[in-house]
Amino acid sequence: MWRTLVWKEARELLSSAKFATAFGVTAVLILLAFYAGARNHLQAVAQHRASMAENARRLDGLTDWLTLQEYRVFLPPSPLEALVTGVSSDIGRTAEVLGRGEISAEDSRFNEDPIFAVFRFLDLTFVFQVVLSLFAIVLGYDAICGEKERGTLRLTFAQAVPRATYILAKITGSLLTLGASLAAALLAGCLLLPVLGVTLTGEEWLRLAMILLSGLLYFGAFLALAVCVSALSHRSSSAFLTLLVAWIMAALVLPASAVLLAGRAVPVPSVDEVSSQKASFARGQFKDFATAMKDFKAPPDTPPDDIQALMAAFQRFSDSLSAERTARQKEFNGRLNEERRNRLRVQERFALGAARVSPTASLSLAMTAFAGTSLVLKNRFYDEAEAYRARLGDFLKEKTGVNVTGSMMVWRTTDDSETPEPIDPAELPAFEFRPTSWSESLREAAGNLSILAVFNLVCFAGAFAAFLRYDVR
Amino acid sequence: MFATLVIKELRGILLSPKFALTFACCSLLILISVYTGVREYRAERDGYEAALKLADSQAEEAGSWQRFRYRALREPDPLRAFVSGLSSDIGRWSNIAQDESVKLRHPAYSDDPLFALFRMVDFSVIVGVVLSLFALLFTYDAVSGEREAGTLKLVFSHGVSRATYLSAKGLGAWLGLVVPLAIPVLLSLALLPWLGLPVSNGLWLRLGALLLVSLAYFTLFIVLGLLISTITRSSSTSFLVALVVWIAFVLIIPRGGMMAAGQMVNVPRVAEIEGRRDAFAQDLWSKHYKAMEERLREERHSGDPAHTSADSDQEMWERMQREDSLRRDVEAQIQEFESDLMSDLKRRREVQERLALVLSRISPVSAYQLAAMELAGTDLAMKSRNEDAMTRYRDDWLKHVQARQAETGEMGGFVQIEISSETGLKIGGSRGDERIDLSDMPRFSPVRLSAADVLPSVSTDLAILVLGGLAAFLGAWVAFWRYDVR
Repeated sequence: MWRTLVWKEARELLSSAKFATAFGVTAVLILLAFYAGARNHLQAVAQHRASMAENARRLDGLTDWLTLQEYRVFLPPSPLEALVTGVSSDIGRTAEVLGRGEISAEDSRFNEDPIFAVFRFLDLTFVFQVVLSLFAIVLGYDAICGEKERGTLRLTFAQAVPRATYILAKITGSLLTLGASLAAALLAGCLLLPVLGVTLTGEEWLRLAMILLSGLLYFGAFLALAVCVSALSHRSSSAFLTLLVAWIMAALVLPASAVLLAGRAVPVPSVDEVSSQKASFARGQFKDFATAMKDFKAPPDTPPDDIQALMAAFQRFSDSLSAERTARQKEFNGRLNEERRNRLRVQERFALGAARVSPTASLSLAMTAFAGTSLVLKNRFYDEAEAYRARLGDFLKEKTGVNVTGSMMVWRTTDDSETPEPIDPAELPAFEFRPTSWSESLREAAGNLSILAVFNLVCFAGAFAAFLRYDVR
Repeated sequence: MFATLVIKELRGILLSPKFALTFACCSLLILISVYTGVREYRAERDGYEAALKLADSQAEEAGSWQRFRYRALREPDPLRAFVSGLSSDIGRWSNIAQDESVKLRHPAYSDDPLFALFRMVDFSVIVGVVLSLFALLFTYDAVSGEREAGTLKLVFSHGVSRATYLSAKGLGAWLGLVVPLAIPVLLSLALLPWLGLPVSNGLWLRLGALLLVSLAYFTLFIVLGLLISTITRSSSTSFLVALVVWIAFVLIIPRGGMMAAGQMVNVPRVAEIEGRRDAFAQDLWSKHYKAMEERLREERHSGDPAHTSADSDQEMWERMQREDSLRRDVEAQIQEFESDLMSDLKRRREVQERLALVLSRISPVSAYQLAAMELAGTDLAMKSRNEDAMTRYRDDWLKHVQARQAETGEMGGFVQIEISSETGLKIGGSRGDERIDLSDMPRFSPVRLSAADVLPSVSTDLAILVLGGLAAFLGAWVAFWRYDVR
């Protein structure tokens, strides 16, 4: 009996005009999201390479590593980022890594090309969050009350069909049919990636699979919600309207409003405020440094005409002052940064906790965690750029013997007229951005996946319980 | 007869159970959006004022005119409470410095990406997405539903003309939806001063224009629903068509248009342009320093060993003045090169933007959103408008700073280390540790839009919405003329 009912549900769904329309639009959108994502990724890769090439060009013709100035690193594009944009277009993607100041990433995609910020991208998050959830409602709103209106429900229960079997078959049938159709469209989309020349590593495929799984869980939650509301209503028009209001609230209003209201309730010092405090401290430090430099006295045993010895002594003196200054500044900045990060963490926890009232927020957080475009991305890039700066500093010290901090201009004049040898740019350590590891992403997404699973279970249970008491006449 | 039909339609809408739910939902959404919008504006305004004070105190602490930098800030527009547009995507301030071009930096979303994850749902989003959906929901079965119920045949048995019927249907639906929705809108407007939004005559005028554009947009979707109901025979088909049309117009075409333009016109990244500029600058500076080294070597060889310390200081000072002039020449060349690069970038961006706007304006949602953003001053031109004003300000500022530098003759901010086999090691520089007087420094006047600035620019989008509405009504009229009412 159960199998017959599942089969009937699947057949009815597949032969309906609304399924054909919804599936047609969804399939086109999914393919479009993959196609646009792939094209955007290829374009971003080309632009990234061009930026790197221009950045490397500044090394051409240099004869002294000391003259290297304004060297930058870039956040590389990833294929998953084009499919689930998250905050990747909002955060700065270029960071200057020479100098004593703090790392500050600039040139966010939306600040550079605001045209893309007007309507944002057609990515998988958008397709699942907005379009597929709407279609789940359209396909499920009359699952029970529609059958009642048409009189088929009474007909079915004229035979000895247990209610539990019926509702389970109804939900399973819808879910399997729609899930399989969606999976087919998503698979076709995935196949587009290699066809268009986008190569994914094994781990990236795994991440993509988890992104799609999160999307299907979200779709399942809305489908179950639609069946639940349908089992609570007696008219399909009122079921649809109730679901539409729920969809507007869940998909559009709640996540944004909750983040805004809850987030603003936790005061966090602004970036400007923190930077101003740091700059003020740095100015004081520089004044002390400049005064202390003037106190340099050559060691008594240094012959006055031994320039090399004089320079070496001065270098030691300057290095020790620089090290003290850097340590003091680092400690001060670290304290301010830690305070801000702690406040931000509280703000994030509070705001995202409130936003998770809606499954849309959980979906978005899970998807961005797997794609590596979640809120973590910004700090990750900063940390990686900071680590690279330290490596670059060590490299330059090894090459030049001095701490190159960018704010010091060293001007050497020699009496010999030998042409100096150019530097070898290939020696410069390369910046390699390490995205969050699979286990970190899984940990980040686990809570949100659990919430989506709980939404599914609660809605299924709600539909089941409501139907057991449903008046089928 | 016309009035009777209008009243019948009006009663049908107002007494339907779906009206109560949608009215409650829309009212709540409009009030929430205005409340959060005003709160966001106030938060941004507070941030702006705090940043202004910080910029001034930082500038005063600079201690020297030589390496003096200032900061010009973009002022938030009060109407961003209704249409946040690009206000959080565009940089909030630019450095004003001798060796740096104007560039808006640190967008709010870049500094606090938490708020970028789920973008603000403001009044324009409520109208653009939610109200358009409800407009279709109330009108998609206006004709096909009546045919199914058999009432259409009944009405036309009374000798009612088709034109009268359709016009009455349209007007009834329009009144039934617009008048009730005007209540929460007017209520939220009345609450604005109480919520703390600075209101002026200019702002009311722009707000009035925004409501007019919103009305034109909403009307277009009501008429579109009417059109769909006249070209379909059953309400279930009408519903599906309406849903697909809504998804295409609201969700796909605006994004698709922008993305297509992005693919068709390639615009290099700013990092690439800056890389090109820096490579050029590096090359020029390298040549400059080589030449300077030559000059120093020559001077050292021709130097008089009998010079006193005071003479050396004087010579050093003159040499620095001379070198400073040469340095300025190099800076001017770099600036010119950068200006050419930026003009090219700007030209390409304009081509891309024009194409994107043409493609996306196929959808009325784009036309509405773009018009609303222009009225609120949070539009695409906001970035260039502010950067251009800041560039003009930078010219005045530079003149002032250079005049002060010439007066004080400072070299501040540098520690100069000179090592020579003849004179040994000398450490100098870093003059001017005291605070500088900024009382007569020119200040940046933030860009403020008046109603006269923005009203002409929304005429195209308003025309698209009005013409789209008229075309849809004409289409509905033609389709209904041939409609089989049985």
